Amino acid sequence: MAEVVLTGITKRFGRDTALSDVSLTVPDGAFVVLLGPTGAGKTTTLRLIAGLETPDAGDITIGGESVLGLTPAQRDVAMVFQQYSLYPHMTVRDNLAFPLRSPILRTPEHEITGKINEVAEVLHIAHKLNNKATALSGGEMQRVSIGRALVRAPQLFLMDEPLSSLDAKLRADLRIELKRIHSALGATLLYVTHDQIEAMTMASHVGVLDHGRLAQFGPPREIYENPVSLTVAGRLGLPRINALPADLFPGAPAGAATIGLRPEHIAQGEGQTAQITRVEHLGDQTRLHLSLHGHDIITLTDPHTDLRGGQSIAIAPRKPLYFDASGVRLA
Amino acid sequence: MTEPSAESPADKLARATPPRVARRIRGLSDRAIAWIFVAPSIFLLLAVNIFPLIWTINLSFTNFRANRNREVEYIGLRNYERILTDSDIWLTMQATAHFLFWTIFFQVLIGFTLAWLINRKFRGNDLWTTIIVLPMMLSPAVVGNFWTFLYQPQIGLFNYVVSFFTGVDPSSFSMIGQVNLAPWSIVIVDTWMWTPFIMLICLAGLRSIPDYIYEAAEVDRASKWRQFWTITIPMALPFLMLAVLFRGIENFKMFDLVVQLTGGGPGSVTELTSINLKREAFEKWRTGYASAYAVILFVTVFGLASIYVKALNKVKER
Repeated sequence: MAEVVLTGITKRFGRDTALSDVSLTVPDGAFVVLLGPTGAGKTTTLRLIAGLETPDAGDITIGGESVLGLTPAQRDVAMVFQQYSLYPHMTVRDNLAFPLRSPILRTPEHEITGKINEVAEVLHIAHKLNNKATALSGGEMQRVSIGRALVRAPQLFLMDEPLSSLDAKLRADLRIELKRIHSALGATLLYVTHDQIEAMTMASHVGVLDHGRLAQFGPPREIYENPVSLTVAGRLGLPRINALPADLFPGAPAGAATIGLRPEHIAQGEGQTAQITRVEHLGDQTRLHLSLHGHDIITLTDPHTDLRGGQSIAIAPRKPLYFDASGVRLA
Repeated sequence: MTEPSAESPADKLARATPPRVARRIRGLSDRAIAWIFVAPSIFLLLAVNIFPLIWTINLSFTNFRANRNREVEYIGLRNYERILTDSDIWLTMQATAHFLFWTIFFQVLIGFTLAWLINRKFRGNDLWTTIIVLPMMLSPAVVGNFWTFLYQPQIGLFNYVVSFFTGVDPSSFSMIGQVNLAPWSIVIVDTWMWTPFIMLICLAGLRSIPDYIYEAAEVDRASKWRQFWTITIPMALPFLMLAVLFRGIENFKMFDLVVQLTGGGPGSVTELTSINLKREAFEKWRTGYASAYAVILFVTVFGLASIYVKALNKVKER
């Protein structure tokens, strides 16, 4: 119904190429998370789909039909902007009602009120409905902005880092809430974030963008376990994957320049001896900062470990990922 | 014993300052220092604004004439009574109201439209802004003077342009000389001169609306028309109202432009209150009477402005 297909999309701003030849199929009802560093083209992708920008080349279809000639209003998408984008002169209630009061929809007023109350309840802003939009905290503003997207039932939701300004608890709550809303509505959702926990917990598919190119697209576990490049491997995983010279450990295939070791993929008690430089007790896990021939390595160990800085420990790679000199995955 | 080598710069300074002065400065409270700083401005304000105001109120109850050396008598409210029952004064009030209403009406209409057009991003809009703003930078006396030429029935450009579009003979009418046209002649010149001012303030208002608000509205399926009425107008309204307040106060005391242009004539159809007041005070030398007149005008402007500012604040709070 609302499958979104991008074919060969290129977008330039002056001399900068924001997106170059991006092709991507978002299945109907999928929760797709776009990951990537700042400037990778994540927001541009959303804006192109919303119709706020026009691509220089390529085609975008929603539900099988090209939307290139359509205005944002005609595309029937809802978007949550990174900078809230609330209407500052209106109350929270009027902000939420704004998309419903569109003359195209002709929603009766009692229905609008019902919808608003429902959404306000879910987002915990029911007590703020009569406040002015500017008299809210950043977190509340962002929830109103999410609410403004939710009151409509569009075929496609676009969300640009909607949770980035919220505190940890609210973020965790809303993550679950968004996931629940997504499965309840069955709508397609495209979501931009920096946060890998959001990507891993919510996404049915993850797209990794790098310098305007789609580096990899697939289920989050596949991206995590089977990254096609060092850049993609570095996008997911906390602590980050250890990227070390391939000859640091024996057994590297021909042509390998870098060995990628996820912190949990380092066996302890065998192999080469490394120095422990620091031990971080995080409660549910303990991170070991190691030094091996001058290279820093981070690994995880038992939360109740007695290891201390200055001691030595033997380590060996397990499930290593090898990359060539240009960062492309070998094996 | 103090060692000279251990002395800090601050100590040296303290030693160099004569002890009495130092103690006196140190003895001043923050409040006293604050008063010392604001005292000059307060003194100026009292001398130039507050004292003349009180003195005018005082004179308004007398029959004082500044050009005659005679005993001044207090005559109570008689000056006020005479002014408020004088039909000529009501006529000047009407002329002023006409002038105020129509200048503000046209200036808001044209000024906002121009601001809205300039605000659309196109090449050379800065140049256009500069050109549009030019009239505002001229001296009112100069403007008044050259518009008398433009309005000249035989050689005036204005009459020629009107004739070009309507076919009316250019020398058949005189903007300044005719009783029915003169009130409009000053409205036109003031609008020509001060529309840019409204435009500039409206432009500031329009530029203060971030693009992403319109983008959100676009995605929320609001038409351009709806965006204009639900976003542009409400968000620019405080600016627009402020511009109207400035123009309103300015035009209530309009003097130079009109004196230069029509001198209050023909008859007294363009005799605005400020011109009328000046005549009473410094041509007829009815000082007491003119003082009462000034007090009435002051109360009117002050009262209207206060009500307006309250409304403005309400709009801002919305």
